[in-house]
Amino acid sequence: MHIALEYAGTIGVGGLKDVALTVVSLILSIILGTLFALGRLYGPWPVRTLIYWYVEIIRGLPAILQLFIIYFGFTQWGINFSPLTAALIWLVAYGTGYAVEIFRSGIMEIPTGQREAAAALGLSSRTTMIRVVVPQAYAIMLPPLTSFVVLQLKNTTLLYLIGFADIMYEARLGVDATNHAAILYFMAALAYLILSLIIGRVGVRLERNVAAYR
Amino acid sequence: MQTLWSAWMQYLPLLLRGTAMTVELTAAALVVGVLFGFLLALGRLSRVPALDTLATGYVEVVRAIPVLIILFITYYGFAELGLVLSGITAAVVSLGGFYATQYGEIFRGAILGIDRGQTEAATALGLTSAQTMRRVVLPQAFFTILPPATNQLSNLIKDTSLVFTISVADLMYQANSALSVNFLPMDMLLEAGVIYFIFYLIIAKVLGRWEVSVQRRRN
Amino acid sequence: MSNDVVIRADRLSKRFGTLTVFEDVSIEVKKREVVAIIGPSGAGKSTFIRCINYLHTFNQGTLEILGHTIVGGHNHPSKDVLQDIRTRVGMVFQTFNLFPHLNVIENITLAPVEVKKVPRAQANARAMELLEMVGLPHKAEMYPKRLSGGEQQRVAICRALAMEPEVMLFDEPTSMLDPELVGEVLAAIRRLAKEGMTMVLVTHEMQFAKEVADTVVIMADHGVVEKGPAREVLESPRTERAQSFLHRVLNPEEVPDPLEQEVLPIGGRR
Repeated sequence: MHIALEYAGTIGVGGLKDVALTVVSLILSIILGTLFALGRLYGPWPVRTLIYWYVEIIRGLPAILQLFIIYFGFTQWGINFSPLTAALIWLVAYGTGYAVEIFRSGIMEIPTGQREAAAALGLSSRTTMIRVVVPQAYAIMLPPLTSFVVLQLKNTTLLYLIGFADIMYEARLGVDATNHAAILYFMAALAYLILSLIIGRVGVRLERNVAAYR
Repeated sequence: MQTLWSAWMQYLPLLLRGTAMTVELTAAALVVGVLFGFLLALGRLSRVPALDTLATGYVEVVRAIPVLIILFITYYGFAELGLVLSGITAAVVSLGGFYATQYGEIFRGAILGIDRGQTEAATALGLTSAQTMRRVVLPQAFFTILPPATNQLSNLIKDTSLVFTISVADLMYQANSALSVNFLPMDMLLEAGVIYFIFYLIIAKVLGRWEVSVQRRRN
Repeated sequence: MSNDVVIRADRLSKRFGTLTVFEDVSIEVKKREVVAIIGPSGAGKSTFIRCINYLHTFNQGTLEILGHTIVGGHNHPSKDVLQDIRTRVGMVFQTFNLFPHLNVIENITLAPVEVKKVPRAQANARAMELLEMVGLPHKAEMYPKRLSGGEQQRVAICRALAMEPEVMLFDEPTSMLDPELVGEVLAAIRRLAKEGMTMVLVTHEMQFAKEVADTVVIMADHGVVEKGPAREVLESPRTERAQSFLHRVLNPEEVPDPLEQEVLPIGGRR
């Protein structure tokens, strides 16, 4: 049992790093994702095509392969990212790809009647977007957004493979030092489980808040 | 350009050998995931409280844990506790066990989505619950299941790329071993990426289009 | 149970938690008798008729049906008993509930083949006879989605009859139908009544109830407010609750328009 205690601290610190990275990358990918989604829906065709294939590639390639391309692949061209930089670039790039699809389907699910009603009231298309469509889209997007946050958090487990000192990395160090794989990996799992539960709770709370008009 | 192309050609056989392993792993994990997932769905829908609790607990816990940790627990953790699994077995157990939660939830949702009147009518006709499931519920649930099930298949094939961490010689593993020899990480990773992407396109686009056409023919 | 009583419900009660669906409902159905249950919506009619073939459980009372006795409460009847009741009692639903993935003939033959192990050829032949009877033999290969509501309901009647039931239950069989399609379904039911089928029928069609039913039961406020010979109950009800209900359904134009109670100018403010 003392092994668990001994490593609880370092695994916890690793967990904080994972959470911090997740939060930062989420904010960036939600902003980029919204812009890309609007570009994908309303942009000129080269923009639409470009974003379409960007999303397909992010969704089509294994996560670990994407991370390795950024961290190891670019060294072939003389570009060396630190583990933290590579981690952040990848999380944002990956998150943006998923956020685009979530936002796009959110916006598309708004009935055309909403737009028609706004137009009939004389609202400009900009006002319609900002005041009518996007707020409703965010409400529709909450459930997939919650699972997206969990997905991004789980993705941070891969970062230890490029030497970023997160939960997995600390657990791995512990295993290498003590050979107690079962308890230490179980602790890592527990850390992720707790974090996922918290995210799920927050998601449900938010959904309940917007449920009033859904 | 010439050298680039020759490196891609030179290592293609190695990568294809890894691809074969990737496909086999995917198939095995898919079978485990679908069968076990169906049991989980039945468990969660069961009127026996113990079964429901057990299945729900499994689903809620396992799907919250990253696949990489599940792999390490089944490979390294189980070994420490005396259950030594080969890399391939650990991979199939982990991926199958994880994707069972995904498939289980898909099945459960589809079954719950069927109108109550359907099971009521079947019961009133004297069909047993097994007959109702087999002849009335599942055939109707099938087409709701297909699109999300295909989606999970493409996630599964991508997640097999993690098994290189427990030394299973899949596509990702071979790409890594190639790049550590020829020091062309970008080329090797991109080449592996092209192969993964072909699978993705086949699953997402071809299967997806087939599903749409089947759906349309039905209506 | 006297020999020709097929169903006897004695003081059945059904509650969901604190919500009472119906209370102390007693009816008796003799062989070849047609019993119509009418009453305002929310009176528990549909739930009650589902208790007869135990699609719903009940909390209190005794149900005797086809030689079986079920006592309300926690003791569920055995699987064999339920199976026996359900194969001998046919049911037709308000929403038809045809199986959308099976065509008409497969809908009709599913239960005979699966439950009674009738050979497929024989089941098909019987299904065609039944379709002939309701005037739909040419629709045998079609899927339910392609049929009108009236056609779907006639197929649903065939599906129930294919089990050769001794009793038929109808839960508002025409209330989801467009007015012009009601007649064809009522014709099929009328024909069954003439052939002497024992039936319990929840309906809103007063004229039809008067014509085919031997006995009418009026359910309101979670209980039976009146029952007796059809003509008597419908033409000269004795209780006040039955009178007011019948008056309202027979003279819908007299129901006050709630908007007229307090007239607000449209677009105006209070």
